[in-house]
Amino acid sequence: MGAAGGSKTEPRISFYGGKWASTVPLGFFILWAVFQSGVLGIGDTNGLVIGALIGTILGMFFVRGDWKTYADTIFEGMTQRVAATAIVAWLWAGMFAETLQVGGFVEGLIFAADALNVGAATFPAAAFVLCGLLATGIGTGYGATVAFVTLFFPAGVLIGANPVLLFAAILSGAVFGDNLAPVSDTTIVSAVTQDADIGGVVASRFKYAIVAAVPAFIAYLIMGSVLSGASLEGAAALRDTATAPGLVHLISMGVVIATAVAGRHIVEAISWGLVVAVGFNLALGLSSVSDILVFTVTEAGTFTALPFVAVGDTAGVGGSLYAGAIGFFPLIVLTLLIVSMAQIMIRGGGFAAIQEFLLNSVATTVRRAEVTMVLGTAAINGMITINTAAEIAIAPYIARIGEKFNINGYRRANILDANTSALGYIFPWAGGVLVGYQVMVGPNGLGAEYGPEMVVNPIEVVPYVFHGWFLVIVFLVAAVTGFGREYVPDRTSGEVSRA
Amino acid sequence: MSALDKFLAGWSFRSSTPDYEPGDTIEVMVTGEKGGEATARIGDSILRIEGAPDDAVDTRVLVAVETWDGSTHRGTGTYRETVGGSAF
Repeated sequence: MGAAGGSKTEPRISFYGGKWASTVPLGFFILWAVFQSGVLGIGDTNGLVIGALIGTILGMFFVRGDWKTYADTIFEGMTQRVAATAIVAWLWAGMFAETLQVGGFVEGLIFAADALNVGAATFPAAAFVLCGLLATGIGTGYGATVAFVTLFFPAGVLIGANPVLLFAAILSGAVFGDNLAPVSDTTIVSAVTQDADIGGVVASRFKYAIVAAVPAFIAYLIMGSVLSGASLEGAAALRDTATAPGLVHLISMGVVIATAVAGRHIVEAISWGLVVAVGFNLALGLSSVSDILVFTVTEAGTFTALPFVAVGDTAGVGGSLYAGAIGFFPLIVLTLLIVSMAQIMIRGGGFAAIQEFLLNSVATTVRRAEVTMVLGTAAINGMITINTAAEIAIAPYIARIGEKFNINGYRRANILDANTSALGYIFPWAGGVLVGYQVMVGPNGLGAEYGPEMVVNPIEVVPYVFHGWFLVIVFLVAAVTGFGREYVPDRTSGEVSRA
Repeated sequence: MSALDKFLAGWSFRSSTPDYEPGDTIEVMVTGEKGGEATARIGDSILRIEGAPDDAVDTRVLVAVETWDGSTHRGTGTYRETVGGSAF
Protein backbone atom coordinates (compact mmCIF):
# COMPACT_ATOMS: atom_id res chain seq x y z
CA MET A 1 0.00 0.00 0.00
CA GLY A 2 2.77 2.39 -0.75
CA ALA A 3 0.45 4.65 -2.67
CA ALA A 4 -2.08 4.69 0.09
CA GLY A 5 0.46 5.56 2.67
CA GLY A 6 1.76 8.30 0.52
CA SER A 7 -1.60 9.93 0.19
CA LYS A 8 -1.84 10.48 3.91
CA THR A 9 1.55 12.05 4.43
CA GLU A 10 2.79 15.54 3.65
CA PRO A 11 4.56 15.85 0.30
CA ARG A 12 8.17 14.85 0.66
CA ILE A 13 9.24 16.47 -2.58
CA SER A 14 8.71 20.21 -2.97
CA PHE A 15 8.31 21.53 -6.51
CA TYR A 16 8.54 24.94 -8.12
CA GLY A 17 5.00 25.48 -9.33
CA GLY A 18 3.46 23.58 -6.39
CA LYS A 19 2.20 20.04 -6.07
CA TRP A 20 0.77 19.97 -9.58
CA ALA A 21 4.36 20.15 -10.89
CA SER A 22 4.76 16.60 -9.55
CA THR A 23 2.61 15.49 -12.48
CA VAL A 24 5.21 16.77 -15.00
CA PRO A 25 7.04 13.43 -15.52
CA LEU A 26 3.88 11.38 -16.01
CA GLY A 27 2.15 14.16 -17.94
CA PHE A 28 5.11 14.54 -20.29
CA PHE A 29 5.25 10.78 -20.77
CA ILE A 30 1.54 10.62 -21.67
CA LEU A 31 1.95 13.43 -24.20
CA TRP A 32 4.96 11.61 -25.64
CA ALA A 33 3.02 8.33 -25.80
CA VAL A 34 0.05 9.96 -27.51
CA PHE A 35 2.32 11.77 -30.00
CA GLN A 36 4.44 8.72 -30.73
CA SER A 37 1.81 5.99 -30.94
CA GLY A 38 -1.29 8.05 -31.64
CA VAL A 39 -0.15 10.83 -33.95
CA LEU A 40 2.88 9.28 -35.63
CA GLY A 41 1.68 5.70 -35.42
CA ILE A 42 4.97 4.44 -33.96
CA GLY A 43 4.37 1.79 -31.31
CA ASP A 44 8.01 1.13 -30.44
CA THR A 45 8.13 0.35 -26.71
CA ASN A 46 11.77 1.40 -26.54
CA GLY A 47 10.66 4.83 -27.76
CA LEU A 48 8.26 5.07 -24.81
CA VAL A 49 11.15 4.17 -22.51
CA ILE A 50 13.04 7.21 -23.78
CA GLY A 51 9.93 9.36 -23.30
CA ALA A 52 9.69 8.17 -19.69
CA LEU A 53 13.38 8.85 -19.09
CA ILE A 54 13.19 12.38 -20.48
CA GLY A 55 9.99 13.05 -18.53
CA THR A 56 11.66 11.90 -15.35
CA ILE A 57 14.64 14.18 -16.02
CA LEU A 58 12.33 17.13 -16.83
CA GLY A 59 10.49 16.74 -13.54
CA MET A 60 13.76 16.99 -11.66
CA PHE A 61 14.29 20.57 -12.87
CA PHE A 62 11.11 21.59 -11.01
CA VAL A 63 12.37 20.26 -7.67
CA ARG A 64 13.12 22.79 -4.94
CA GLY A 65 16.34 22.15 -3.06
CA ASP A 66 18.19 18.85 -2.99
CA TRP A 67 17.43 16.56 -5.91
CA LYS A 68 18.42 13.50 -3.89
CA THR A 69 14.90 12.95 -2.54
CA TYR A 70 13.56 12.99 -6.08
CA ALA A 71 16.17 10.46 -7.16
CA ASP A 72 15.43 8.27 -4.12
CA THR A 73 11.72 8.33 -5.01
CA ILE A 74 12.53 6.84 -8.41
CA PHE A 75 14.08 3.85 -6.64
CA GLU A 76 11.20 3.73 -4.16
CA GLY A 77 8.70 3.47 -7.01
CA MET A 78 10.67 0.85 -8.89
CA THR A 79 10.89 -1.45 -5.89
CA GLN A 80 7.14 -1.63 -5.32
CA ARG A 81 5.72 -5.13 -5.30
CA VAL A 82 3.13 -4.23 -7.93
CA ALA A 83 5.84 -3.74 -10.56
CA ALA A 84 7.50 -7.03 -9.65
CA THR A 85 4.16 -8.85 -9.89
CA ALA A 86 3.56 -7.64 -13.42
CA ILE A 87 7.11 -8.41 -14.50
CA VAL A 88 7.03 -11.96 -13.18
CA ALA A 89 3.69 -12.62 -14.87
CA TRP A 90 5.01 -11.35 -18.20
CA LEU A 91 8.22 -13.39 -18.08
CA TRP A 92 6.38 -16.62 -17.29
CA ALA A 93 3.57 -15.99 -19.75
CA GLY A 94 6.08 -15.07 -22.45
CA MET A 95 8.00 -18.33 -22.05
CA PHE A 96 4.78 -20.35 -22.00
CA ALA A 97 3.24 -18.68 -25.04
CA GLU A 98 6.42 -18.93 -27.12
CA THR A 99 6.82 -22.60 -26.26
CA LEU A 100 3.28 -23.30 -27.42
CA GLN A 101 4.04 -21.41 -30.61
CA VAL A 102 7.10 -23.49 -31.52
CA GLY A 103 4.96 -26.53 -30.70
CA GLY A 104 2.68 -25.83 -33.65
CA PHE A 105 -0.27 -24.47 -31.69
CA VAL A 106 -1.09 -21.87 -34.32
CA GLU A 107 -1.16 -24.51 -37.03
CA GLY A 108 -3.42 -26.59 -34.81
CA LEU A 109 -5.78 -23.68 -34.25
CA ILE A 110 -5.98 -22.96 -37.95
CA PHE A 111 -6.84 -26.63 -38.41
CA ALA A 112 -9.47 -26.47 -35.67
CA ALA A 113 -10.98 -23.26 -36.98
CA ASP A 114 -11.35 -24.84 -40.39
CA ALA A 115 -12.72 -28.06 -38.94
CA LEU A 116 -15.22 -26.26 -36.68
CA ASN A 117 -16.15 -23.89 -39.49
CA VAL A 118 -15.15 -20.84 -37.41
CA GLY A 119 -14.84 -18.45 -40.29
CA ALA A 120 -13.32 -15.02 -40.57
CA ALA A 121 -16.52 -13.30 -39.46
CA THR A 122 -16.96 -15.30 -36.25
CA PHE A 123 -13.28 -15.55 -35.32
CA PRO A 124 -13.20 -12.27 -33.28
CA ALA A 125 -16.24 -13.33 -31.22
CA ALA A 126 -14.64 -16.73 -30.60
CA ALA A 127 -11.35 -15.07 -29.65
CA PHE A 128 -13.19 -12.84 -27.14
CA VAL A 129 -14.78 -15.82 -25.42
CA LEU A 130 -11.65 -18.00 -25.43
CA CYS A 131 -9.29 -15.23 -24.34
CA GLY A 132 -11.78 -14.29 -21.62
CA LEU A 133 -11.72 -17.90 -20.48
CA LEU A 134 -7.93 -18.05 -20.38
CA ALA A 135 -7.61 -14.69 -18.63
CA THR A 136 -10.19 -15.75 -16.05
CA GLY A 137 -8.17 -18.88 -15.47
CA ILE A 138 -4.70 -17.45 -15.20
CA GLY A 139 -5.72 -14.12 -13.69
CA THR A 140 -3.46 -12.00 -15.82
CA GLY A 141 -4.98 -10.17 -18.74
CA TYR A 142 -1.49 -9.24 -19.90
CA GLY A 143 -0.45 -12.89 -19.96
CA ALA A 144 -3.62 -13.89 -21.80
CA THR A 145 -3.06 -11.09 -24.31
CA VAL A 146 0.47 -12.32 -24.95
CA ALA A 147 -0.69 -15.89 -25.43
CA PHE A 148 -3.59 -14.99 -27.70
CA VAL A 149 -1.79 -12.41 -29.84
CA THR A 150 1.01 -14.92 -30.27
CA LEU A 151 -1.23 -17.89 -30.97
CA PHE A 152 -4.79 -16.99 -32.00
CA PHE A 153 -4.16 -13.69 -33.72
CA PRO A 154 -2.06 -14.96 -36.65
CA ALA A 155 -4.42 -17.89 -37.11
CA GLY A 156 -7.41 -15.56 -37.32
CA VAL A 157 -5.75 -13.09 -39.67
CA LEU A 158 -4.63 -15.89 -41.96
CA ILE A 159 -8.20 -17.15 -42.07
CA GLY A 160 -9.33 -13.67 -43.09
CA ALA A 161 -10.49 -11.97 -39.90
CA ASN A 162 -9.99 -8.22 -39.62
CA PRO A 163 -6.70 -7.71 -37.68
CA VAL A 164 -7.86 -4.59 -35.81
CA LEU A 165 -11.13 -6.17 -34.69
CA LEU A 166 -9.39 -9.41 -33.74
CA PHE A 167 -6.76 -7.63 -31.62
CA ALA A 168 -9.55 -5.63 -29.95
CA ALA A 169 -11.52 -8.83 -29.27
CA ILE A 170 -8.47 -10.38 -27.61
CA LEU A 171 -8.06 -7.25 -25.47
CA SER A 172 -11.75 -7.47 -24.54
CA GLY A 173 -11.23 -11.03 -23.38
CA ALA A 174 -8.29 -9.85 -21.30
CA VAL A 175 -10.50 -7.15 -19.74
CA PHE A 176 -13.11 -9.76 -18.84
CA GLY A 177 -10.60 -12.03 -17.13
CA ASP A 178 -8.63 -9.27 -15.44
CA ASN A 179 -11.89 -7.97 -14.00
CA LEU A 180 -13.42 -11.26 -12.87
CA ALA A 181 -10.59 -13.70 -12.11
CA PRO A 182 -10.14 -14.41 -8.40
CA VAL A 183 -6.40 -14.79 -8.96
CA SER A 184 -6.11 -11.53 -10.89
CA ASP A 185 -3.77 -9.00 -9.29
CA THR A 186 -6.33 -6.23 -9.87
CA THR A 187 -9.12 -8.31 -8.31
CA ILE A 188 -6.98 -8.95 -5.26
CA VAL A 189 -6.03 -5.27 -4.91
CA SER A 190 -9.63 -4.12 -5.34
CA ALA A 191 -10.89 -6.49 -2.65
CA VAL A 192 -8.15 -6.06 -0.10
CA THR A 193 -8.08 -2.24 -0.30
CA GLN A 194 -11.85 -2.05 0.26
CA ASP A 195 -11.96 -4.51 3.19
CA ALA A 196 -13.88 -7.10 1.21
CA ASP A 197 -13.29 -10.84 0.78
CA ILE A 198 -12.11 -11.89 -2.69
CA GLY A 199 -14.66 -14.67 -3.21
CA GLY A 200 -17.53 -12.33 -2.35
CA VAL A 201 -16.13 -9.64 -4.62
CA VAL A 202 -15.92 -12.02 -7.58
CA ALA A 203 -19.48 -13.25 -7.00
CA SER A 204 -20.85 -9.71 -6.66
CA ARG A 205 -19.08 -8.49 -9.79
CA PHE A 206 -20.32 -11.31 -12.00
CA LYS A 207 -23.54 -9.39 -12.75
CA TYR A 208 -21.70 -6.36 -14.12
CA ALA A 209 -19.30 -8.51 -16.14
CA ILE A 210 -22.03 -10.53 -17.81
CA VAL A 211 -24.20 -7.48 -18.54
CA ALA A 212 -21.25 -6.00 -20.46
CA ALA A 213 -19.99 -9.26 -22.01
CA VAL A 214 -23.20 -10.35 -23.73
CA PRO A 215 -23.59 -7.21 -25.87
CA ALA A 216 -19.83 -7.23 -26.49
CA PHE A 217 -20.05 -10.76 -27.88
CA ILE A 218 -22.96 -9.73 -30.13
CA ALA A 219 -21.04 -6.64 -31.27
CA TYR A 220 -18.06 -8.81 -32.29
CA LEU A 221 -20.36 -11.10 -34.26
CA ILE A 222 -21.88 -8.12 -36.09
CA MET A 223 -18.64 -6.23 -36.70
CA GLY A 224 -16.90 -9.43 -37.73
CA SER A 225 -19.22 -9.51 -40.70
CA VAL A 226 -18.93 -5.79 -41.41
CA LEU A 227 -15.14 -5.34 -41.31
CA SER A 228 -13.08 -7.08 -43.96
CA GLY A 229 -9.83 -8.91 -43.30
CA ALA A 230 -6.31 -8.25 -44.51
CA SER A 231 -5.20 -9.56 -47.87
CA LEU A 232 -2.27 -11.84 -47.21
CA GLU A 233 -0.33 -13.29 -50.05
CA GLY A 234 0.51 -16.88 -49.37
CA ALA A 235 -2.20 -17.26 -46.75
CA ALA A 236 -3.74 -20.15 -48.63
CA ALA A 237 -0.40 -21.90 -48.72
CA LEU A 238 0.04 -21.39 -44.99
CA ARG A 239 -3.43 -22.79 -44.38
CA ASP A 240 -2.34 -25.90 -46.24
CA THR A 241 0.28 -26.39 -43.54
CA ALA A 242 -2.40 -26.52 -40.82
CA THR A 243 -2.02 -29.68 -38.79
CA ALA A 244 -3.93 -31.20 -35.93
CA PRO A 245 -1.19 -32.32 -33.46
CA GLY A 246 -0.53 -28.77 -32.22
CA LEU A 247 -4.03 -28.77 -30.77
CA VAL A 248 -2.66 -30.88 -27.95
CA HIS A 249 -1.57 -27.57 -26.44
CA LEU A 250 -5.20 -26.89 -25.58
CA ILE A 251 -4.34 -29.30 -22.77
CA SER A 252 -1.28 -27.22 -21.89
CA MET A 253 -3.55 -24.17 -21.62
CA GLY A 254 -6.10 -26.22 -19.71
CA VAL A 255 -3.45 -27.18 -17.17
CA VAL A 256 -2.71 -23.50 -16.55
CA ILE A 257 -6.40 -22.62 -16.20
CA ALA A 258 -7.26 -25.58 -13.97
CA THR A 259 -4.25 -25.04 -11.74
CA ALA A 260 -4.96 -21.31 -11.42
CA VAL A 261 -8.68 -21.79 -10.75
CA ALA A 262 -7.72 -24.34 -8.10
CA GLY A 263 -6.12 -21.42 -6.31
CA ARG A 264 -2.46 -22.00 -7.07
CA HIS A 265 -0.11 -19.04 -7.54
CA ILE A 266 0.15 -17.74 -11.08
CA VAL A 267 3.87 -18.61 -11.21
CA GLU A 268 3.10 -22.19 -10.23
CA ALA A 269 0.16 -22.42 -12.65
CA ILE A 270 2.14 -21.24 -15.67
CA SER A 271 5.17 -23.31 -14.66
CA TRP A 272 3.05 -26.48 -14.73
CA GLY A 273 1.67 -25.45 -18.10
CA LEU A 274 5.20 -24.91 -19.33
CA VAL A 275 6.31 -28.35 -18.14
CA VAL A 276 3.36 -29.99 -19.90
CA ALA A 277 3.92 -27.96 -23.10
CA VAL A 278 7.61 -28.88 -23.25
CA GLY A 279 6.67 -32.51 -22.59
CA PHE A 280 4.16 -32.54 -25.46
CA ASN A 281 6.59 -30.81 -27.81
CA LEU A 282 9.32 -33.36 -27.20
CA ALA A 283 7.16 -36.47 -26.83
CA LEU A 284 5.11 -35.82 -29.98
CA GLY A 285 7.97 -34.37 -31.99
CA LEU A 286 6.23 -30.98 -32.27
CA SER A 287 9.55 -29.24 -31.73
CA SER A 288 13.14 -30.12 -31.03
CA VAL A 289 15.00 -29.45 -27.81
CA SER A 290 16.91 -26.68 -29.57
CA ASP A 291 13.63 -25.00 -30.56
CA ILE A 292 13.00 -24.60 -26.84
CA LEU A 293 16.52 -23.84 -25.62
CA VAL A 294 19.75 -23.68 -27.57
CA PHE A 295 23.32 -22.59 -26.90
CA THR A 296 24.89 -21.73 -30.21
CA VAL A 297 28.69 -21.94 -30.53
CA THR A 298 30.83 -21.13 -33.55
CA GLU A 299 32.98 -24.27 -33.51
CA ALA A 300 32.13 -27.93 -32.91
CA GLY A 301 33.44 -29.40 -29.68
CA THR A 302 32.75 -31.81 -26.87
CA PHE A 303 29.39 -30.33 -25.94
CA THR A 304 27.94 -29.97 -29.42
CA ALA A 305 26.71 -33.55 -29.15
CA LEU A 306 24.16 -32.34 -26.62
CA PRO A 307 20.71 -31.62 -28.09
CA PHE A 308 20.66 -28.07 -26.73
CA VAL A 309 24.07 -27.07 -28.08
CA ALA A 310 24.38 -26.21 -31.77
CA VAL A 311 27.00 -24.87 -34.14
CA GLY A 312 26.22 -21.63 -35.93
CA ASP A 313 27.70 -18.48 -37.38
CA THR A 314 27.17 -16.42 -34.25
CA ALA A 315 27.53 -17.52 -30.65
CA GLY A 316 24.50 -16.94 -28.47
CA VAL A 317 21.54 -18.33 -26.57
CA GLY A 318 18.15 -18.90 -28.15
CA GLY A 319 14.96 -20.95 -28.17
CA SER A 320 11.39 -20.31 -27.10
CA LEU A 321 12.20 -19.84 -23.42
CA TYR A 322 14.80 -17.23 -24.30
CA ALA A 323 12.75 -15.42 -26.94
CA GLY A 324 9.57 -15.51 -24.90
CA ALA A 325 11.16 -13.92 -21.87
CA ILE A 326 13.47 -11.48 -23.61
CA GLY A 327 10.68 -10.12 -25.79
CA PHE A 328 9.31 -8.34 -22.73
CA PHE A 329 12.48 -6.70 -21.52
CA PRO A 330 11.62 -3.28 -23.06
CA LEU A 331 8.19 -3.35 -21.46
CA ILE A 332 9.67 -4.33 -18.12
CA VAL A 333 11.97 -1.31 -18.21
CA LEU A 334 9.04 0.91 -19.19
CA THR A 335 6.93 -0.47 -16.33
CA LEU A 336 9.61 0.33 -13.79
CA LEU A 337 9.86 3.90 -15.08
CA ILE A 338 6.08 4.44 -15.12
CA VAL A 339 5.68 3.19 -11.57
CA SER A 340 8.50 5.46 -10.43
CA MET A 341 6.87 8.48 -12.13
CA ALA A 342 3.62 7.68 -10.33
CA GLN A 343 5.51 7.55 -7.05
CA ILE A 344 6.96 11.01 -7.75
CA MET A 345 3.40 12.27 -8.24
CA ILE A 346 2.37 10.73 -4.92
CA ARG A 347 5.36 12.09 -3.02
CA GLY A 348 4.96 15.49 -4.63
CA GLY A 349 1.32 15.86 -3.57
CA GLY A 350 -0.30 15.61 -6.99
CA PHE A 351 -2.40 12.65 -5.98
CA ALA A 352 -3.52 14.29 -2.74
CA ALA A 353 -4.60 17.37 -4.72
CA ILE A 354 -6.80 15.19 -6.90
CA GLN A 355 -8.31 13.58 -3.79
CA GLU A 356 -9.21 16.95 -2.25
CA PHE A 357 -10.81 18.09 -5.46
CA LEU A 358 -12.92 14.94 -5.71
CA LEU A 359 -14.11 14.99 -2.09
CA ASN A 360 -14.94 18.68 -1.85
CA SER A 361 -16.19 19.68 -5.26
CA VAL A 362 -18.21 16.94 -6.87
CA ALA A 363 -19.15 14.07 -4.52
CA THR A 364 -22.10 15.77 -2.82
CA THR A 365 -24.76 13.02 -3.17
CA VAL A 366 -24.44 9.25 -3.29
CA ARG A 367 -25.19 9.27 -7.01
CA ARG A 368 -22.59 11.95 -7.70
CA ALA A 369 -20.16 10.17 -5.38
CA GLU A 370 -20.44 6.95 -7.38
CA VAL A 371 -20.14 8.78 -10.69
CA THR A 372 -17.07 10.51 -9.27
CA MET A 373 -15.62 7.15 -8.24
CA VAL A 374 -16.22 5.77 -11.74
CA LEU A 375 -14.79 8.78 -13.56
CA GLY A 376 -11.96 9.28 -11.06
CA THR A 377 -10.83 5.69 -11.48
CA ALA A 378 -11.09 6.11 -15.24
CA ALA A 379 -8.99 9.28 -15.19
CA ILE A 380 -6.21 7.76 -13.10
CA ASN A 381 -6.16 4.64 -15.24
CA GLY A 382 -5.98 6.81 -18.33
CA MET A 383 -2.85 8.43 -16.93
CA ILE A 384 -1.12 5.44 -15.33
CA THR A 385 -1.04 2.80 -17.98
CA ILE A 386 -0.01 -0.14 -15.83
CA ASN A 387 -3.44 -0.75 -14.44
CA THR A 388 -2.55 -2.43 -11.17
CA ALA A 389 -0.35 0.53 -10.28
CA ALA A 390 -3.18 2.92 -11.08
CA GLU A 391 -5.58 0.86 -9.01
CA ILE A 392 -3.34 0.95 -5.97
CA ALA A 393 -2.96 4.70 -6.33
CA ILE A 394 -6.70 5.43 -6.54
CA ALA A 395 -7.84 2.79 -4.03
CA PRO A 396 -7.64 5.05 -0.93
CA TYR A 397 -9.79 7.68 -2.64
CA ILE A 398 -12.42 5.12 -3.57
CA ALA A 399 -12.48 3.87 0.02
CA ARG A 400 -12.83 7.33 1.54
CA ILE A 401 -15.43 8.66 -0.89
CA GLY A 402 -17.43 5.44 -0.70
CA GLU A 403 -17.32 5.23 3.09
CA LYS A 404 -18.58 8.80 3.31
CA PHE A 405 -21.86 7.47 1.88
CA ASN A 406 -21.73 4.01 3.52
CA ILE A 407 -21.30 2.34 0.15
CA ASN A 408 -20.58 -1.35 0.69
CA GLY A 409 -17.03 -2.64 0.23
CA TYR A 410 -18.12 -5.06 -2.50
CA ARG A 411 -19.62 -2.23 -4.52
CA ARG A 412 -16.53 -0.06 -4.01
CA ALA A 413 -14.24 -2.90 -5.08
CA ASN A 414 -16.32 -3.47 -8.19
CA ILE A 415 -16.31 0.19 -9.22
CA LEU A 416 -12.56 0.29 -8.61
CA ASP A 417 -11.70 -2.78 -10.63
CA ALA A 418 -14.07 -2.31 -13.58
CA ASN A 419 -12.41 0.82 -14.89
CA THR A 420 -8.98 -0.42 -13.90
CA SER A 421 -9.48 -3.52 -15.97
CA ALA A 422 -11.24 -1.79 -18.87
CA LEU A 423 -8.98 1.19 -19.42
CA GLY A 424 -5.84 -0.88 -19.03
CA TYR A 425 -6.65 -2.38 -22.43
CA ILE A 426 -8.19 0.45 -24.45
CA PHE A 427 -5.88 3.40 -24.97
CA PRO A 428 -2.80 3.11 -27.22
CA TRP A 429 -0.45 3.73 -24.31
CA ALA A 430 -2.19 1.20 -22.01
CA GLY A 431 -0.03 -1.64 -20.74
CA GLY A 432 -2.39 -4.32 -22.02
CA VAL A 433 -2.35 -2.88 -25.54
CA LEU A 434 1.41 -2.48 -25.48
CA VAL A 435 2.11 -6.09 -24.48
CA GLY A 436 0.04 -7.31 -27.41
CA TYR A 437 1.69 -4.84 -29.74
CA GLN A 438 5.09 -5.96 -28.47
CA VAL A 439 4.33 -9.49 -29.66
CA MET A 440 3.69 -8.08 -33.12
CA VAL A 441 6.76 -5.87 -33.41
CA GLY A 442 9.22 -7.49 -30.98
CA PRO A 443 12.18 -9.73 -31.88
CA ASN A 444 10.88 -12.62 -33.97
CA GLY A 445 7.51 -10.86 -33.81
CA LEU A 446 4.50 -11.53 -35.97
CA GLY A 447 5.38 -8.68 -38.32
CA ALA A 448 8.81 -10.15 -38.98
CA GLU A 449 7.40 -13.63 -39.43
CA TYR A 450 4.26 -12.96 -41.48
CA GLY A 451 4.50 -9.41 -42.80
CA PRO A 452 3.13 -5.94 -41.97
CA GLU A 453 -0.50 -7.12 -42.17
CA MET A 454 0.11 -8.78 -38.79
CA VAL A 455 0.93 -5.46 -37.09
CA VAL A 456 -1.97 -3.35 -35.82
CA ASN A 457 -1.53 0.31 -34.94
CA PRO A 458 -2.58 0.51 -31.26
CA ILE A 459 -4.71 3.63 -31.80
CA GLU A 460 -6.91 1.81 -34.30
CA VAL A 461 -8.18 -0.70 -31.72
CA VAL A 462 -9.53 1.95 -29.31
CA PRO A 463 -13.17 1.99 -30.54
CA TYR A 464 -13.40 -1.79 -30.86
CA VAL A 465 -12.48 -2.94 -27.34
CA PHE A 466 -16.20 -3.46 -26.80
CA HIS A 467 -16.16 -5.25 -23.46
CA GLY A 468 -13.93 -2.53 -22.01
CA TRP A 469 -16.19 0.28 -23.18
CA PHE A 470 -19.37 -1.55 -22.19
CA LEU A 471 -17.97 -2.20 -18.72
CA VAL A 472 -17.33 1.54 -18.26
CA ILE A 473 -20.84 2.32 -19.54
CA VAL A 474 -22.42 -0.33 -17.29
CA PHE A 475 -20.82 1.26 -14.23
CA LEU A 476 -21.79 4.78 -15.25
CA VAL A 477 -25.39 3.60 -15.68
CA ALA A 478 -25.17 1.64 -12.42
CA ALA A 479 -23.96 4.73 -10.58
CA VAL A 480 -26.83 6.84 -11.93
CA THR A 481 -29.61 4.25 -11.59
CA GLY A 482 -28.43 2.42 -8.45
CA PHE A 483 -28.17 -0.95 -10.25
CA GLY A 484 -26.22 -3.29 -7.98
CA ARG A 485 -25.73 -0.66 -5.29
CA GLU A 486 -25.30 -2.03 -1.79
CA TYR A 487 -24.77 -0.16 1.46
CA VAL A 488 -22.64 -1.11 4.44
CA PRO A 489 -25.70 -2.14 6.52
CA ASP A 490 -26.87 -4.52 3.77
CA ARG A 491 -24.27 -7.18 4.45
CA THR A 492 -20.86 -7.54 6.01
CA SER A 493 -17.86 -8.89 4.16
CA GLY A 494 -16.30 -12.23 4.93
CA GLU A 495 -12.78 -12.41 6.22
CA VAL A 496 -10.41 -10.65 3.85
CA SER A 497 -8.21 -13.29 2.34
CA ARG A 498 -5.75 -13.27 -0.48
CA ALA A 499 -6.82 -16.55 -2.07
CA MET B 1 -24.97 -16.52 2.75
CA SER B 2 -24.69 -19.33 0.20
CA ALA B 3 -22.49 -19.10 -2.89
CA LEU B 4 -25.61 -18.76 -5.05
CA ASP B 5 -26.91 -15.94 -2.84
CA LYS B 6 -23.60 -14.12 -3.28
CA PHE B 7 -24.01 -14.25 -7.05
CA LEU B 8 -27.64 -13.11 -6.89
CA ALA B 9 -27.08 -10.23 -4.44
CA GLY B 10 -27.47 -6.75 -5.88
CA TRP B 11 -29.50 -7.65 -8.99
CA SER B 12 -31.75 -4.66 -8.38
CA PHE B 13 -31.94 -0.88 -8.68
CA ARG B 14 -31.25 0.44 -5.20
CA SER B 15 -32.64 3.71 -3.91
CA SER B 16 -30.25 6.52 -3.02
CA THR B 17 -32.27 6.99 0.17
CA PRO B 18 -32.49 3.61 1.96
CA ASP B 19 -34.97 3.31 4.83
CA TYR B 20 -34.81 1.33 8.06
CA GLU B 21 -37.30 0.21 10.69
CA PRO B 22 -37.27 0.99 14.41
CA GLY B 23 -35.89 -2.10 16.11
CA ASP B 24 -33.35 -2.83 13.37
CA THR B 25 -29.75 -3.21 14.49
CA ILE B 26 -27.47 -2.18 11.65
CA GLU B 27 -23.74 -1.84 11.05
CA VAL B 28 -22.77 1.57 9.68
CA MET B 29 -19.73 3.70 9.08
CA VAL B 30 -19.85 6.89 11.18
CA THR B 31 -19.38 9.61 8.58
CA GLY B 32 -19.51 12.84 10.60
CA GLU B 33 -20.81 14.63 13.64
CA LYS B 34 -23.34 17.37 14.16
CA GLY B 35 -23.88 19.23 17.42
CA GLY B 36 -21.61 16.83 19.24
CA GLU B 37 -23.60 13.81 18.04
CA ALA B 38 -22.31 11.21 15.62
CA THR B 39 -24.07 10.82 12.28
CA ALA B 40 -24.01 8.15 9.63
CA ARG B 41 -24.85 9.10 6.07
CA ILE B 42 -26.19 6.02 4.31
CA GLY B 43 -26.57 6.99 0.67
CA ASP B 44 -28.50 10.25 1.02
CA SER B 45 -30.28 9.14 4.22
CA ILE B 46 -29.06 10.31 7.62
CA LEU B 47 -28.97 8.40 10.90
CA ARG B 48 -28.13 10.29 14.09
CA ILE B 49 -26.36 8.09 16.63
CA GLU B 50 -26.73 8.75 20.36
CA GLY B 51 -24.09 7.63 22.81
CA ALA B 52 -21.28 7.11 20.32
CA PRO B 53 -17.67 7.66 21.46
CA ASP B 54 -16.12 11.08 20.75
CA ASP B 55 -13.70 9.58 18.22
CA ALA B 56 -16.33 7.55 16.39
CA VAL B 57 -15.97 9.26 13.00
CA ASP B 58 -14.52 6.86 10.40
CA THR B 59 -15.27 3.80 12.54
CA ARG B 60 -17.81 1.07 11.87
CA VAL B 61 -20.35 0.70 14.64
CA LEU B 62 -23.47 -1.30 15.48
CA VAL B 63 -26.52 0.95 15.96
CA ALA B 64 -30.00 0.10 17.22
CA VAL B 65 -32.46 2.13 15.16
CA GLU B 66 -34.98 3.90 17.46
CA THR B 67 -36.96 6.13 15.10
CA TRP B 68 -37.19 6.49 11.32
CA ASP B 69 -39.10 8.94 9.11
CA GLY B 70 -39.60 7.38 5.69
CA SER B 71 -40.59 10.70 4.08
CA THR B 72 -37.45 12.62 5.04
CA HIS B 73 -35.22 9.53 5.24
CA ARG B 74 -33.94 10.64 8.63
CA GLY B 75 -33.72 8.60 11.80
CA THR B 76 -32.14 8.21 15.21
CA GLY B 77 -30.45 5.27 16.89
CA THR B 78 -28.37 4.22 19.86
CA TYR B 79 -24.72 3.23 19.71
CA ARG B 80 -24.11 -0.39 20.69
CA GLU B 81 -20.48 -1.17 19.93
CA THR B 82 -17.57 -0.42 17.62
CA VAL B 83 -16.82 -3.27 15.22
CA GLY B 84 -14.16 -1.87 12.89
CA GLY B 85 -12.56 1.08 11.19
CA SER B 86 -12.04 2.69 7.83
CA ALA B 87 -10.43 0.68 5.05
CA PHE B 88 -7.79 3.44 5.08
